[in-house]
Amino acid sequence: MSITRADVAHALSFRNISALYIFAILFIVFSLWIPEKFLQPGVWRSLLDAEALTGIAALAALIPLTAGALNLAIGAQVGFCAILSAFLLGKIQMPIALQLPAVIVVGGLIGLVTALVITRLKVEPIIATLGMSSILLAGMAWISNSQQILGLDPAYREIAAAQFAGITVPVWVLLAVAIVSWYVLERTPAGRRLYAVGFNPESARLAGIGVERLQLGSLVAGGALAALAGALLTSRLNAGDPTVGPSFLLPALTAVFLGSTQFKGGRFNVLGTIVAMYVLAVGIKGLQLAGSPRWVNDLFYGLSLLLAVALSQWDKTSRRSSAIGRVVDGLKRKPKTPAS
Amino acid sequence: MSEPLLRVAGLVKAFPGLTALDRVDLDVHSGEIVAIVGHNGSGKSTLMKILAGVYTADAGSVQTAPGTELHFIHQDLALVDQLSAAENLALRRGEGATALAPYRSREVQDRARELVSRFGPPFDVTCPLHRLTPAQRAVVAISRAMDGWTHSRNVLFLDEPTESLHRTEVEVLFEAVRRLAAEGAGIVFVSHRLDEVRSLAHRIVGLRDGRKVADRPVAEMDEGHLIEIVTGVEKMDAAERTPRTHGEIALRVRGLSGASVESLDLEVRAGEIVGIAGTLGSGREAVPSLLYGATDAAASAFTIDGSDYPRRSPAQSLRRGMTFAPADRGRLAVVRDMTARENFTLPHLARTTAAFAPVPGGERAETAVAFAACDVRPARTEQRISLFSGGNQQKIVMAKSMHHRPTVLLLDEPTQGVDVGAKAAIYTAIERGAAGGTAVLVASSDAKELAGLCDRVIVMRDGVVGAELSADDLTERRLVAEAYGLP
Repeated sequence: MSITRADVAHALSFRNISALYIFAILFIVFSLWIPEKFLQPGVWRSLLDAEALTGIAALAALIPLTAGALNLAIGAQVGFCAILSAFLLGKIQMPIALQLPAVIVVGGLIGLVTALVITRLKVEPIIATLGMSSILLAGMAWISNSQQILGLDPAYREIAAAQFAGITVPVWVLLAVAIVSWYVLERTPAGRRLYAVGFNPESARLAGIGVERLQLGSLVAGGALAALAGALLTSRLNAGDPTVGPSFLLPALTAVFLGSTQFKGGRFNVLGTIVAMYVLAVGIKGLQLAGSPRWVNDLFYGLSLLLAVALSQWDKTSRRSSAIGRVVDGLKRKPKTPAS
Repeated sequence: MSEPLLRVAGLVKAFPGLTALDRVDLDVHSGEIVAIVGHNGSGKSTLMKILAGVYTADAGSVQTAPGTELHFIHQDLALVDQLSAAENLALRRGEGATALAPYRSREVQDRARELVSRFGPPFDVTCPLHRLTPAQRAVVAISRAMDGWTHSRNVLFLDEPTESLHRTEVEVLFEAVRRLAAEGAGIVFVSHRLDEVRSLAHRIVGLRDGRKVADRPVAEMDEGHLIEIVTGVEKMDAAERTPRTHGEIALRVRGLSGASVESLDLEVRAGEIVGIAGTLGSGREAVPSLLYGATDAAASAFTIDGSDYPRRSPAQSLRRGMTFAPADRGRLAVVRDMTARENFTLPHLARTTAAFAPVPGGERAETAVAFAACDVRPARTEQRISLFSGGNQQKIVMAKSMHHRPTVLLLDEPTQGVDVGAKAAIYTAIERGAAGGTAVLVASSDAKELAGLCDRVIVMRDGVVGAELSADDLTERRLVAEAYGLP
C-alpha cells in the first residue's frame, strides 16, 4: 500500500496529533513568558523523572480500559501499594529483594479482587473501582495510622535515584513498561482481543473470546503496574506518605483519555497516553514556574479532562466514534428503540 | 361515507439504494379497523415511522380530520416495568408547573381502575407491571394511549401488538380494540399473523416492496389472497435448484430446547444447505444461536462430525469448526470500531497464534485474498468496518465465518438489509461453501431466499417443527402458508 498525500495530511492534522500542537503552543508561550526559568535543562530532566510514575500509573489504568473497565481506584492502588512498601521495609524490616515482588503480587491481587467483583458479582466497573478505592484508602490509613512511615533503608532510595546514561531508573522503567504494553496491545492477538472486548463485548464473545478472563487479566496486570508505581514512589520519597498516592488518579486518567484522541482516532493507546501525559505535565510545570498557586494543578487537569472528552464527542458528531464516547455512553442509560 | 379521520396520499420515502415507500395512499375512517400486512422490508415500519414523526417523507401528504390525533403503541409497549399500572398511566400527567404538586395516589389509582376497566376484567393497578400478564400490560398501554382523549375520533396505531401475547390472551386485546373502534376511533393494526388479521380487521391493506398492492374489505380476501400479497407469487412453482451431493452427517442434534425452541431434532449433512423458516417468535430466530452455544440450551444429543459436543460455548464451537454469522450485524456480528482486517481475523487469531506471540505478518495479505473472493468493495482491509455499506459489511462477516472451511456454518438472516448485488454475492459464497463440504444452516424470514437457496427447509411454528419441505414441495408459497399455519 502506498502512502498518499491524504494519508500524510491526516497524519499531520490537528485532529490526529492535537497534543503535539498544544505542546508547541505551550512551549512557545512559556519560552516567551518565563524564558529564564522554563528553558533550563534541569527543569526538563526533573520533569521527565517526576512524571515517570504518573506515566506508569496511566498505563496501569489504560490496559483495563482497553477492555472496557474504567478504573477509578488507580490513585488509591498506587497509594496503598506505596504505603505497603514503606510498611514492609520500615516496620517489618523486610529485605528489598523480597519487598518489591511482595508489593507487586499484592497489587495484582487487588486487581484480581476488583475483577472478580466486576465479572462475578456483575458490578459496573466504575462502581466497583469507586468502592475498591474507598476500601484501599481505609487500608492505607489503617496501615500507616494516617502518618508518614519514616526511617526506611537508605539503600531503597537508590532505586528511584539511580541513573543510567543520565536518565533515572523510573524513566527507564516507564520506557520498558510502555514498550511491553505497546507490543501486547498493538502487536499480539491478546491485544486485539482486549480492544474487541472493550469495543463490543457481545460481538467479542461470539468470536470465541473469553470476555471475563480478558477483563480479569487486564485488571491484574494493571494492579501489578500500579503497585510498581507505588513501590517506586516510596523509594523516591524514602518514606511512606498516605497523602500522595490518591493524587495520581486525575493526571493518569486525563492522560489516558486525552491520549485516546491522539494517533489512533479514538482508540486508547500507549503512545498517545505517554505523549498526552508529558504535554499536560509541561503545561503544569510552566504554570508553576510562572508562580501560579498549587490549586491551578487541579484546575488544569480538570479542564483538560473535560476538553479531552469534549474533543472525542466532537469527533463522534463528525461520524468518528471514539473510545471515550463509549465509556460516556456506557454510563448513560441507552433508550431502547422499539424493534419494527 | 364520511370524511376519513386520516388521509395519507402519495407518500414517498427513499433511503440510499432503496425506495422504502412508493406513492402509498391510506385512508382510515371513524370506527374502522385497518390491518396492514406485508413481509419484512415491505414498508410497514417506514409508514408507521413517518406518521409517528420519526422520519420525514420525501413527498406526499398526511391530513387528519379537525381535532383528530394520532396515537401509537409500539411493539415493546414503552412502559416502565418497575412501576404499577396506575403510576404508568399517571406518568405523563403533571407536566410543567404541576410537576411538583403532591402526588395523589388514591385519585391516580381510581382513575387507572376506571381506564383499564373499559377494556375488560379489572386487575390490581398498584402491582408492578412486570408481575402482570402480557395482555394486561397491553391494556395498560392502550389505556395510556387513550388517556386524555377528549373525544373518540382519534386514530390508534398498534405495531405487532400480539407479538408477546399468548394465543389465549390475544382475544382480550382484540376485545379492547373492537370496543374502541365501536366508540368511533380509527384503528390501524400492523401484524404478520394473518389469521389474527382476518378475525379482527374490517379492511386489509397490503404492502410489498414499498408499494400498496391491495386495499380491500376483509370479506373479499381469502387466505390465498393474503399469501399472494405477502409473497407476490400467484402460482406454485418450484424454484430452480441444482441438486447437490451430500456427504456424511456433519451436525446431529436431538431434543434441543432453549429460548423459544422446544425439543428440536435436526440433522445437516456435509454439503447440504438446510433452511429454518417461521414467523418472528416461532423459534426460527433462536435456532442458530442455540446451536452455536451463544444462548443457553439443553439437548439430549449433540454431535459434530460424529463426535459428542456436550458443553457448548462460542469458543468451543469455533474450535470444533462451527461458525455463526448472527443477524444483528451492528451489535453482534462486527466490532464497529475495528478495521475490516481486525474484524476478519478476530475469531481465527487464537487458532493460528499464541496470545502473546506477534500477529503473523501475512495477516493483511490473507485478508485481502479472502475479501477478493467475496467481492468486498472497496477492498480496503485497513478501513474501519463501520464505513463499509451494509452489504459489504455482510460480505466481510461471511468471509470471516467461512474462513478455514468450517464443518458447520450457521447463518441468521444472511441478507437482511443488503442490496441486490450483495445478496447475489452472499448466495454465491454460501453455495461455494456447501460445494466445499460445509454443512450450512440458514435461518431466514425471507421465504423466497430459502426456497431458492436450500435443499430442505424446516418450518418452525410456536417453538416446534411445523413442517419440513424439500424437493417440489419447497416453494415460496408453501413456506409462507406453513409459517403462518394456513392450510
